[in-house]
Amino acid sequence: MSGRFAAAGKVAIAGYAHSIIERHAARPLGALAVETAREAIADAGITVGDVDGVVAAALFPTSGAHAAEDGVATVTANWMAEHLACLGARPEHVSGFQGIGQMPGAVAIAVNAIAAGAADYVLLFRALHNPPGSYHGNPMRQVAGPQQWTAPAGFFGPLAMIALPYNEYLQRYGATREEMAAVVVEARKNGARLPWSYWRKRPLTSEDYLAAPMLADPVGRYDCDIPVDGVAAFILTSADRARDLPNKPVYVAGYASGRQPRARLPLHWPLDDIMAAGTQLAAGLWKHTGIGPGEVDLPQVYDGFSPFVWFWLEVLGLCPPGEAHRFVAAGGIDSDDPAALPALSSGGALGNGRMHGVPQMLECYLQLAGRAGPRQRARATVGVACQSSPHYGGAVMYTAEPA
Amino acid sequence: MPVPDELSAPYWAAAGRHELAIPRCSRCRSLVIPPGQACPHCGSTNPEYAYETMSGQGIVRSWTVIRQSFLPGFDVPFLLVDVELAEQPGLRMIGRLLDGPDAPVTLGARVKAAFEDIAAEDSADGVAVPAFTLASDS
Repeated sequence: MSGRFAAAGKVAIAGYAHSIIERHAARPLGALAVETAREAIADAGITVGDVDGVVAAALFPTSGAHAAEDGVATVTANWMAEHLACLGARPEHVSGFQGIGQMPGAVAIAVNAIAAGAADYVLLFRALHNPPGSYHGNPMRQVAGPQQWTAPAGFFGPLAMIALPYNEYLQRYGATREEMAAVVVEARKNGARLPWSYWRKRPLTSEDYLAAPMLADPVGRYDCDIPVDGVAAFILTSADRARDLPNKPVYVAGYASGRQPRARLPLHWPLDDIMAAGTQLAAGLWKHTGIGPGEVDLPQVYDGFSPFVWFWLEVLGLCPPGEAHRFVAAGGIDSDDPAALPALSSGGALGNGRMHGVPQMLECYLQLAGRAGPRQRARATVGVACQSSPHYGGAVMYTAEPA
Repeated sequence: MPVPDELSAPYWAAAGRHELAIPRCSRCRSLVIPPGQACPHCGSTNPEYAYETMSGQGIVRSWTVIRQSFLPGFDVPFLLVDVELAEQPGLRMIGRLLDGPDAPVTLGARVKAAFEDIAAEDSADGVAVPAFTLASDS
């Protein structure tokens, strides 16, 4: 990609739906997904028969031995397309995003398909599942392939993965878990205000954060998003079509993804890898869109693990490297302070449950469309929705007006 | 228990002798962990890795104390160190620090390779897993 994004402002979000987020839904995930999809279709002011594109990312991010049964533990684009077809949809473009940074990756596929004319109305959705039993527990006693270099020492699963760069950051910059409490408290404050959130009406105090059990130092219980059952769906279409639909369109200005700078051991994420690739990702996003960090009034950073908030704030250039811990602790992302950057106003994954990049994308949509209800911000013109680690994930920029 | 393959067998064989051996790409001469089918440094699809015995010396770049294991057979807590080996800048591996979970580890602390002998469940053959201990002068 050498120049500006050719499809900037040409594709828009026209509607959405979000299921209630629960630890274990009473309904099968596939049923919840179809119902949420139909609600999103109705919200956008179109019919099931209009949907000719279906896009999803279907990763079931467990380290455990759970089967990823389609329609039960995950829902793929193909599964959804089949079930919408029998309701009258005519999906011609059906794609799944395979990488990490599932929402930005899926949005990119949908935008490309619409801009190319491969689909007119794309249903984009994400269905997350919390299986019975331990989410990451794995009974394996023998390990082959890349994990033989790490698992025999006990380095396994995402907690150990994030603990190493988290501690590297704490040690390098003199940051503390007391400062991290401000991240988690902010996410839970905002999540507590969302009627669909698992943590609705349940904010968290710094004291409770610090008193929770440690899992993999310095990672404690509330540094991790809680696994849930939940589905979100969005309708994307061309900007021209979106302007004829009932909701105010929110435009896609561009996107960028991170690429780790070098091969590493499985789950080995050195801090310098994260920051180098993330800085490159952000530079690509600004160049791609022609919009710089100073114009972003709705940065939505990813927080599946709390240290990602610090990492994203720094790679996006919203505070200097090594300063995010102080920036957040000083109220820099307080959504109730009009002078602060509302970086977790979505509640994030920490404040909603493990919905991956859904909260960030949804907050960009709701605020820029003027649909955030009592949470509506006075100024919301440019949003950036981030997901995953900066060196694996991605970011999408949304604008209230076409570019 | 690791299941060695063609690329990793010399690593585990050396560990069995309590030696830390790391593969070097014969094309770009870089040490690599882990050895991919193509060299992760130069991209050669015919890297013809040759294992070399390391000094075992390195410095701690990060660490964590695991208090909840997702794998069977691990007694918690235990401490894992992210170590940059002395032989090449950026050459990092992860292992247990055998000094215990309360060891006074710091960023930049010097460590040396050590080995943890693990008995196999159903045979007399065990395996040694590379690990680290704090170097006495650090």
